[in-house]
Amino acid sequence: MDAESQRVLEYLTEVEEAAEDVLTTKQQIVDLDTKRNRNREALNALKHEMSDSEKVKVCFGNMFIKFPKSKTREMIQKDQEQLDKEINDLRKGLKAKVNRLNEMQGKPQLRGYNLSPLSTDEVKAINSLLKR
Amino acid sequence: MATTKVPEVRDITRIERIGAHSHIRGLGLDDALEPRQVSQGMVGQLASRRAAGVILEMIKDGHIAGRAVLIAGQPGTGKTAIAMGIAQSLGPDTPFTALAGSEIFSLEMSKTEALSQAFRKAIGVRIKEETEIIEGEVVEIQIDRPATGTGAKVGKLTLKTTEMETIYDLGNKMIDSLSKEKVQAGDVITIDKATGKISKLGRSFTRARDYDAMGAQTQFVQCPEGELQKRKEVVHTVSLHEIDVINSRTQGFLALFSGDTGEIKSEVREQINAKVCEWREEGKAEIIPGVLFIDEVHMLDMECFSFLNRALESDLSPVLIMATNRGITRIRGTNYQSPHGIPIDLLDRLLIIATSPYTEKETRQILKIRCEEEDVELSEEAHTVLTRIGMETSLRYAIQLISTAGLVCRKRKGTEVQVEDIKRVYSLFLDEARSSQYMKEYQDSFLFNETQAAAMDTS
Repeated sequence: MDAESQRVLEYLTEVEEAAEDVLTTKQQIVDLDTKRNRNREALNALKHEMSDSEKVKVCFGNMFIKFPKSKTREMIQKDQEQLDKEINDLRKGLKAKVNRLNEMQGKPQLRGYNLSPLSTDEVKAINSLLKR
Repeated sequence: MATTKVPEVRDITRIERIGAHSHIRGLGLDDALEPRQVSQGMVGQLASRRAAGVILEMIKDGHIAGRAVLIAGQPGTGKTAIAMGIAQSLGPDTPFTALAGSEIFSLEMSKTEALSQAFRKAIGVRIKEETEIIEGEVVEIQIDRPATGTGAKVGKLTLKTTEMETIYDLGNKMIDSLSKEKVQAGDVITIDKATGKISKLGRSFTRARDYDAMGAQTQFVQCPEGELQKRKEVVHTVSLHEIDVINSRTQGFLALFSGDTGEIKSEVREQINAKVCEWREEGKAEIIPGVLFIDEVHMLDMECFSFLNRALESDLSPVLIMATNRGITRIRGTNYQSPHGIPIDLLDRLLIIATSPYTEKETRQILKIRCEEEDVELSEEAHTVLTRIGMETSLRYAIQLISTAGLVCRKRKGTEVQVEDIKRVYSLFLDEARSSQYMKEYQDSFLFNETQAAAMDTS
């Protein structure tokens, strides 16, 4: 293979890798959100469907363990916070990755991509302009 | 089968009316900013197009603001065409405001107010809105009403995307807004996390065949992809003037639609400026200096010119492009003579682009482009005749003859405009020179004839 096609191949590999990276991150967010929603369902179930004194069976990997209810709730809530944080971080990272991919492909940068959002009050104030 | 047919939207105004510069699609420059002889509706004027191209690039990069450009040249040499070309190549995101010099005298507000509004319309502010939403297709919605009829309702809502599915417990408020929006299984909805507002996006394609009879307004959408709880970011570009208007209390935001905004207090403007600068420093907004185009700028008077002088120096100022066809003439409202009818001090701040009359070959090209634009077929000889008319009278007159000749041609059921058609409309419609000639011959029989006033005031 001559040097020219070698270079093209290298470039294409690089782009593919960057694209793959973006896709993986997206999938990761989806997976984490699935987990987050399952936890939320569990919390709801704990709130409505049981008396407080009962112990609940919690599934850890391939085994069920009886656990006091308050402890379980605490555990899930902690997990939820962790998930929220992780999703946020992934989203932030995703932006940089998409930017890098765009740059590699020679596409223009997305406009206003790096702006920080207006606060809800500010959005409300100019809402009539934005809804056109 | 239910193949969704997109209805063909036809813009009536676009089809029926053809503006004088509707054929301009850009400046016709290549990547190295070299002008091509004929491109994007532009013909000739190579030097001025190149100059405009340089300015255009600087505007696009946001390098210049608060500068002014004057396009000067005889009538019918493509001044407005160049300005339109700049507007077309700026893209939809850069604000472009066009204004005729005489416009500001007929508005129900002071001249300087009209000018400052035009200035502020030409400055864009880019802002971002971020919302957390839950977006999914409704799989099932189940609402339990208490037997007594009163009391708290409870319910469950199952939502799914292509990747996942989950159940939400519903409170009283959510149930109310769900039933208000008439949400049912198969709808694709979004729920704003912060406000709890529900909006229906449409029905899912997979449910398209549930019923045979449904309203024409039913929209079918794909089942959403990815996660349920999404973050949506929308970037908006608004002009400073629009922000001014919604903040000037006496008018309210309705004024935006009626077009009549009245005068805006300078305090309001200052507040907005401060707020926008604050946003910029916090990284919440980007300022996009746009372009304000003032055609027939010699119609402005001294007051306006000094206002322009001042306004160009403010830090929130767009790029000002002006066009004039006057030579050395009186500045409106004074007795002073000045080149282009513009005071010397303002002239000093301008970059001046000159346009020169079109050559015969270029005139021919332009006429050809206009014929295509107006859907008129021209025979070779007719084209030559029309070009001659264009050279001897004016380009505008020749362009007017195209559509009229087209009509005459259609009347005799021809497909191609021949020399006879051109001759016929040439005899029907006078050009400026022939009309003046006629006036001179028959001036005695016209009303209010003032032969004595030989030195007529032409200003």
